[in-house]
Amino acid sequence: MNPYHLAGRESTWQKHIKDIPVDNYFLTLSCILGSFYPASETMVPKVFDLLGLRWATTHTSHNGWSCCTAIGYHGDIMPIEATLLTVARLWALAQEAGMEVITPTCVTSFGTYCECQELLEQEPELRGRIARLLKDTCGRKLVIPRRLAHVSDVYYQHRERLAGHFQYRLIEAATGRPLRVVDHIGCHYAKLFPQRHAVGGSEYCDVLAGMVRTWGGENVDYPERRHCCGMGFRQCMIPPNRGATMASVHKKLKSMAPFKPDLIVTNCPGCQVFMDKEQWAVHEMTGEKYFIPVITYQELAGILLGWDPYEVVGIDFHTVPVEPLLDKIGIPYDREKSWHREP
Amino acid sequence: MRQTEHMSIEYDTQSFLDLITRRNPDDAAWRDLRRRLDAMSDAELTDLYYRLRDACQVSEQGLVYPNIQNLHATPFEREKDRREQRPLVEQDSLSEVACWYREARDKSCVWWLENHVIARHALSSCMNCGACTALCPAAEFNEFNPRAIMSLVQEKDETSIVELLKSDTIWFCHQCGSCKTKCPRQNSPFGMISSLRQLSQLKGYHVQSIRGRQQYFARHFWGGNLWNRACTLYFRNPDPERHKDFGPRFAAYFRAKEEYLRRIGAQPDMEGHLSGRKVAPETLEELRKLWTAGGAVYFWSLIEEAAARQAAQAGMTIDEYHNHVMSEG
Repeated sequence: MNPYHLAGRESTWQKHIKDIPVDNYFLTLSCILGSFYPASETMVPKVFDLLGLRWATTHTSHNGWSCCTAIGYHGDIMPIEATLLTVARLWALAQEAGMEVITPTCVTSFGTYCECQELLEQEPELRGRIARLLKDTCGRKLVIPRRLAHVSDVYYQHRERLAGHFQYRLIEAATGRPLRVVDHIGCHYAKLFPQRHAVGGSEYCDVLAGMVRTWGGENVDYPERRHCCGMGFRQCMIPPNRGATMASVHKKLKSMAPFKPDLIVTNCPGCQVFMDKEQWAVHEMTGEKYFIPVITYQELAGILLGWDPYEVVGIDFHTVPVEPLLDKIGIPYDREKSWHREP
Repeated sequence: MRQTEHMSIEYDTQSFLDLITRRNPDDAAWRDLRRRLDAMSDAELTDLYYRLRDACQVSEQGLVYPNIQNLHATPFEREKDRREQRPLVEQDSLSEVACWYREARDKSCVWWLENHVIARHALSSCMNCGACTALCPAAEFNEFNPRAIMSLVQEKDETSIVELLKSDTIWFCHQCGSCKTKCPRQNSPFGMISSLRQLSQLKGYHVQSIRGRQQYFARHFWGGNLWNRACTLYFRNPDPERHKDFGPRFAAYFRAKEEYLRRIGAQPDMEGHLSGRKVAPETLEELRKLWTAGGAVYFWSLIEEAAARQAAQAGMTIDEYHNHVMSEG
């Protein structure tokens, strides 16, 4: 195959196109997003309903959803078998709810579901043991899902329909120029199983870029675009290790600053926390003031839909103020609704 | 804890409740607390915990659980977890997965590399090209070299592996998986490192390094959240006092977090299925059974044993040890 031939190029791209299920989503939530940017989760059911999608979650006393335990797994307090059993239970809940596609808001959960799926496919003996333990322990059946979707995949899949509901676009109101957007995908979405599970693969992952393009913005490429945010589980959550996280965020900010981004849009809850909050630490420690608004793709959709920035989108949760971005787009807001009193 | 009129429990004094829900390690009452916890039987202690946890109140927001905020991440909760989990790891009640890990403790590190499913998947594919290290975010800021780790484990020299397991080195990995993406063979050095970290704890070597013994904090932080709230991070965890790098806007949010969460439709310590919700006891019970069957509770008991040994050697209570390792380094 001549890689410079148009058909060859198209064929190369084909392997990076993800077959995203269009419906039947079983929503599971994120420990990190729920703790720091919970509106990004409470808006998801609103968007699913707005688009008329078939979805479910569960919270009956015996069938409550749980965390996937991935922070514990990557933080090395959970043997793989315990994580496999937890994930298998979540898959069983989805099946029992009549939904084919488990759909997490968390990138780490997504990566873990993908890893569990692959491991159980490759290891028949392990699969048999997990199925038996799941059945014996809680009477549920192991069903390995055929397809996995992250909530950002769903937004990507329906990005044009969603744009049809928007009141605003990613355009600077005063000049008409497209806003310059940095995307930060999250390692456990794009780097673990890039060909099988990431829209566009890892190098040119399209899951956020596609939304930005469709919603009127301009994607910014910059040297450290693919660099990890440094979240690192034990690096960010065990206080003496936080320096590695801050150094990673600083590296990315320095690299993107010359390209003058108007905002950073994130896919991963952990990345969202540290790309946003460590900008304060970087400022305090180095004097460098970046203060580039960092928002999740759910928040981006929320503000473009014209939902209340404070009472629905929850911009008060942010360390870097989001109001300057709203000003650029020309989205009105009532400052009196903000719970922050500083300018 | 102040809404006593809404609580259906009986207890001896308000001051005792104040004592068991303290987190400040510098408090003069610290050792007094430990003495009083030690004086309680397992049944008394766990019963008090659950009566406090399940005391609910009806508010404008529906049913809420006001005491949970005072129980999480306390020495009281940690002690309750230890005592509750102890019978689950007694010789006769170990799950088959836990038995496998117990047997693995007595085998060589090389045996582990060849038999633990995560290590086994990563061991042989590496050709030591170094692509993983070239773009490793952890290697950029720490004395950390995944290529060298892969080379070392492939040599299968027991002494060198033990030395590695006792060092800080393996704990620097971010577990981001950047190495897997760039590996020409899609190998998973970060999987190998994760497996080595587990082996280090299985054999008790982790307490030999500063980064390794932080796992005692992790066992109760993430493990405590899982065991008691079915999540690894609880919205009340990121106290601004310990996260000053998050800035004053975060501190302002944290002071009024319940109101912030409710305003956008989340459910802080309330019944429901959205962010912050209280997990139902029946769901929690099922998950605890799974984590026991999956070997997690046995694994936590090993981390507990190693910490207790080192704390005793250092003349610390286990609570002092906990707070020492979470701030050391």
